[in-house]
Amino acid sequence: MDGDRIEEATLANSPADEISHLALDIGGSLIKMVYFSTGREEEQQQQQPIGKTQKDGRLLNGRISFLKFETSKINECLDFISSKQLRCSRGVQHSGFPASDKNIIKATGGGAFKFADLFKEKLNINLDKVEEMSSLVSGANFLLKAVPSEAFTYVNGQRNYVQIDHNDLYPYLLVNIGSGVSMIKVDGDGKFERVSGTSVGGGTFWGLGKLLTKCKSFDDLLEMSHQGNNRVIDMLVGDIYGGVDYLKIGLSSTAIASSFGKAISENKELEEYKPEDVARSLLRMISNNIGQIAYLNALRFGLKRIFFGGFFIRGHAYTMDTISVAVDFWSKGEAKAMFLRHEGFLGALGAFMNYQLVKEFPNSNPLVSDLTDNGIIDCCVQVSS
Amino acid sequence: MNINEETKNVIEKSISEVEEDTGKEMAPPVPNSIHRSSSRPQLDLTGAAIQGNFEERDPTILLPNQSDDISHLALDIGGSLIKLVYFSRHEDRLVNDKRKKSMKERFGVSNGNRRSFPILGGRLHFVKFETAKINECLEFIHSKQLHRGDNDNAVIKATGGGAYKFADLFKEKLGVSIEKEDEMDCLVAGANFLLKAIRHEAFTHKEGHKEFVQIDHNDLYPYLLVNIGSGVSMIKVDGDGKFQRVSGTNVGGGTYWGLGRLLTKCKSFDELLELSQRGDNSSVDMLVGDIYGGLDYSKIGLSASTIASSFGKAISENKEIEDYRPEDISLSLLRMISYNIGQISYLTALQLGIKRIFFGGFFIRGHAYTMDTISFAIQFWSKGGAQAMFLRHEGFLGALGAFMSYEKHGLDDLMVHQLVERFPMGAPYTGGKIHGPPLGDLNEKASICDSIPHLCICVAYEIISWMEKFVRKGTTKITAPVPMASPRTTGLGGFEAPSSKGDTLRSDESNLNVGVLHLVPSLEVFPLLADPKTYEPNTIDLAEPNELQYWFTVLSEHLPDLVDKAVASEGGTDDARRRGDAFARAFSAHLARLMEEPAAYGKLGLANLLELREECLREFNFFDAYSTIKQRENEASLAVLPDLLMELDSMSEETRLLTLIEGVLAANIFDWGSRACVDLYHKGTIIEIYRMSRKKMQRPWRVDNFDAFKERMGFGDHKPPRHKRALLFVDNAGADVVLGMLPLARELLRRGTEVVLVANSLPALNDVTAMELPEIVAEAAKHCDILRGAAEAGGLLMDAMISIADSPREKSSTTPLMVVENGCGSPCIDLRQVSSDLAALARDADLVILEGMGRSLHTNFNARFVCDSLKLAMVKNQRLAEKLIKGNIYDCVCRYEPAS
Repeated sequence: MDGDRIEEATLANSPADEISHLALDIGGSLIKMVYFSTGREEEQQQQQPIGKTQKDGRLLNGRISFLKFETSKINECLDFISSKQLRCSRGVQHSGFPASDKNIIKATGGGAFKFADLFKEKLNINLDKVEEMSSLVSGANFLLKAVPSEAFTYVNGQRNYVQIDHNDLYPYLLVNIGSGVSMIKVDGDGKFERVSGTSVGGGTFWGLGKLLTKCKSFDDLLEMSHQGNNRVIDMLVGDIYGGVDYLKIGLSSTAIASSFGKAISENKELEEYKPEDVARSLLRMISNNIGQIAYLNALRFGLKRIFFGGFFIRGHAYTMDTISVAVDFWSKGEAKAMFLRHEGFLGALGAFMNYQLVKEFPNSNPLVSDLTDNGIIDCCVQVSS
Repeated sequence: MNINEETKNVIEKSISEVEEDTGKEMAPPVPNSIHRSSSRPQLDLTGAAIQGNFEERDPTILLPNQSDDISHLALDIGGSLIKLVYFSRHEDRLVNDKRKKSMKERFGVSNGNRRSFPILGGRLHFVKFETAKINECLEFIHSKQLHRGDNDNAVIKATGGGAYKFADLFKEKLGVSIEKEDEMDCLVAGANFLLKAIRHEAFTHKEGHKEFVQIDHNDLYPYLLVNIGSGVSMIKVDGDGKFQRVSGTNVGGGTYWGLGRLLTKCKSFDELLELSQRGDNSSVDMLVGDIYGGLDYSKIGLSASTIASSFGKAISENKEIEDYRPEDISLSLLRMISYNIGQISYLTALQLGIKRIFFGGFFIRGHAYTMDTISFAIQFWSKGGAQAMFLRHEGFLGALGAFMSYEKHGLDDLMVHQLVERFPMGAPYTGGKIHGPPLGDLNEKASICDSIPHLCICVAYEIISWMEKFVRKGTTKITAPVPMASPRTTGLGGFEAPSSKGDTLRSDESNLNVGVLHLVPSLEVFPLLADPKTYEPNTIDLAEPNELQYWFTVLSEHLPDLVDKAVASEGGTDDARRRGDAFARAFSAHLARLMEEPAAYGKLGLANLLELREECLREFNFFDAYSTIKQRENEASLAVLPDLLMELDSMSEETRLLTLIEGVLAANIFDWGSRACVDLYHKGTIIEIYRMSRKKMQRPWRVDNFDAFKERMGFGDHKPPRHKRALLFVDNAGADVVLGMLPLARELLRRGTEVVLVANSLPALNDVTAMELPEIVAEAAKHCDILRGAAEAGGLLMDAMISIADSPREKSSTTPLMVVENGCGSPCIDLRQVSSDLAALARDADLVILEGMGRSLHTNFNARFVCDSLKLAMVKNQRLAEKLIKGNIYDCVCRYEPAS
């Protein structure tokens, strides 16, 4: 199902459009970037009539693009911005954005604090810090309201897109799985509370995975997990009960009794385990755990919908499957895990929303449509002048 | 505890072996058994509880105690560990003691409404093995013949996954069938049993500080039981046998060990835990501060030291696994898993509206850091509304439960006061290592025991080897503390390093150090306690570090003198000297361990500490270190008693009462337990010291309610009715009892008050025992008609017994003097656990007199009774005098309190 994954734009294939607004989410492991670029001149003119009714500013057609960098390679990010900045400046003249916006980038995530000086020094750019949780929430709210086919469930390898009724969206639980995991109860626009979280998140998967498998990247690790068999390492109920289900408590023999539990009883060293199996076991452990804690929190607050986002998932089928199974298991089928296509970019999108470019979305007629294969969202923004 | 045949046999045996004596004069079995007023053989058996602990406490020291009749064995075979619980009791002995029976009948001691004990006294032992080394477990069972319980039953109750997996192996190797018990059933039954039957079972653990929680049995349910084994099960318990597995997680102990093993190459779980003690997780975990450039993320209440992502730092650096310290990895793993379990547990409890969460299972194994982390998680997520509680026998829940599943174990209605936990003697040496017995030795020893029918020889043989181990290992392994640096960063949600004991926390070894549980069904709560629920025996709280330090110092300083006495009591032979050395080492090691972790075996009071010393002495076959001294002093005191009685009889009743109380206080100076008094002894004869001491008795005493007592005794305006029956808790042998308490008893008898002399079941220092008293009384009675008549009426005089038996009614008008054992072998007394005989006699009593420091000051100073009570003691310790009565050494306490 990797074909369903959003292929983030890379430096090579990033559109040569003019960038007018750029927002960053600088996390512990990854930097997520969202930027708005205007389309080509002729497209703009074609679509211009749509926004003509707006009275206090121009409407601008364009697209929101998504990009990521590893935080440890922040220089790549700086280079990218630096290269785009020129065009951005040109764009500013073109589009008539106020000049004061030029040296400001909306940013969120811990790195917005940590790397503020670096941006100032290298690019003479001030990071306008947007609070992390509110970014996540406004990003998620934007996506859930404005993008059709944003949310989907994942059952037996199948994506099933879920139509969200905007009037019945709140409250929901937003589980953002970054390096760590935040669980946020969302009651409306700007109305939310971080109710829980866990330190066992994407960073744990990658960190432990790196130590255990010598894998060079998160994606490789995910890829490997796909080939693995966790039964080699995990202690299953069947391993303990000699292949018999422990029916009394509803545990099948294939349920994991203890993650990595088999690694204790055998005289096998790390090198003797297939990295694929290790990765698989790790992924299941973490996904299952997050699914469980998320469900317990949803239950606690009486929330019916749980949306999972964040970079850990990255549309990875097996991750989504495990989380779905965990939620299904613990809720006894009552609750369904839902995922977002733009899961990794919630924070960055939220920071982008902080520009106040995109204001309202008529419920029945979303301005934003046509999700492209590379996740770029075509949209129309309002430019106040 | 009741004196029991077993002890006596061993005493006799050891004496006959050492001195080739006939054993008659030391322990004449027939006459002395009279004081035991029990009608049921079980009572005699239960005396085993306090008997020397030469039975194995430590699996490596193999002591197949052939005199034990193993009733039951139960197993919990988990993925990583096998937990074994077995019960041993002493074999039935026919007690053909007619006199005893007749005495009971005559005095109604065995009043009909006392229930007969459904269970036999004995011991519950807790042992563990690694599942991977199941053969050691099989060998252990085989060597101790644990699988051959009652009636050759060839069934062993077992739980845990391995009960299925290894059933064939057990059949093949031991010829026994495994009867599988449901795992959850067992966990719950085990936890319910522990929470109800053991006083100091549940505790909280915060920042390195352990605090026992008093569980109200009526408000126990519902609770959440979180069992952390390889995986984690969360069970909602609503009552006995009423429970539901509501949640769980696959991230448990197996994950910690499994991942830890892969990451650190550790060879054992314990090693991995040990490593974590020296770890700093900030090198591996991504903290909030790492993301926010050292800043807190205060908006959502996360401090900079909060772990944002476990192992999150391992991603961004170009470091290989070898570049990380295993210590850091272990700590990071430990925190990740503990915290996660705590969080899920809390959420589950919240969902179900449960307030109490108990954590058990082998993952915890008394490890301070694990408990702190779980506690923190609960506290953090509940915002202080809930707290985590732990169980001392955490790892043995399943095995205990399997044990409970035997049909006739009879433990169901066991009460708290019937269980006595004893210090496992091997504990300071063996620590938390998982081990079975040395296999080579094992068969050899077993076969020796099999071939020699004489059980006691076998016991003696084992003691020797056990001691050799002590002597050999003693010098190198006595002190167990492992120094450690306190972890620099431990932040998880602002969770800082456990502060109070951060430097002394170690890979806790208490998992093996749960005491052996002695089941003593004959123990009862003293019925005259005004408020048994709030009763606390210890006056001095050893939770205060200074206090603890002080008493440890006192005990340590007293040790050489005690060893001398003990060795001398056994004729000063090489063997005695060797055992004396071993005792000193063992006792010191215990002190060191308790100093380090005072709550290792439950709440520690001075009474426990003093009892430990006696236990330890018995462990090394010193059954009565002061026997010679006691004998000598009894004789010397008895010699001057007639003169004293004559002197007393010449006084008016009123003067005599004061003189008698003065006499009790004065005679209480004879105390080998007090260092100050030991020095005094070298300076004069008994009567000299006694008279000098009495002369110094200037009223008012430091605590002086004598006038109130006198009034109650009928010397005031009112003439209250005389007391019907008085219980006199006596202290030391020699002058203390002979010149102090006996004359007081005589006075009460003269006034028509029945007197019961309450004495120790087993020796403690120079305290007089219930076994010795009849002889002393008989000797005193030779010169005193009052005592003779009373002793005859009380059945204390052998010669008189026969004629009495012929015509039981004839003498019934005479006020009897009786002797009863208190159920203890300690210089102090915990009135929650006294012999059933004492309890029975107490029901008709309306005056309690506690004499001596141990029973009226160290313990029970603040005890209140439903009847009149008098506490008499001379304070022979400056610190205690200052602390308790704001006085000085040799000050006296005469505390009278009317019935409350």
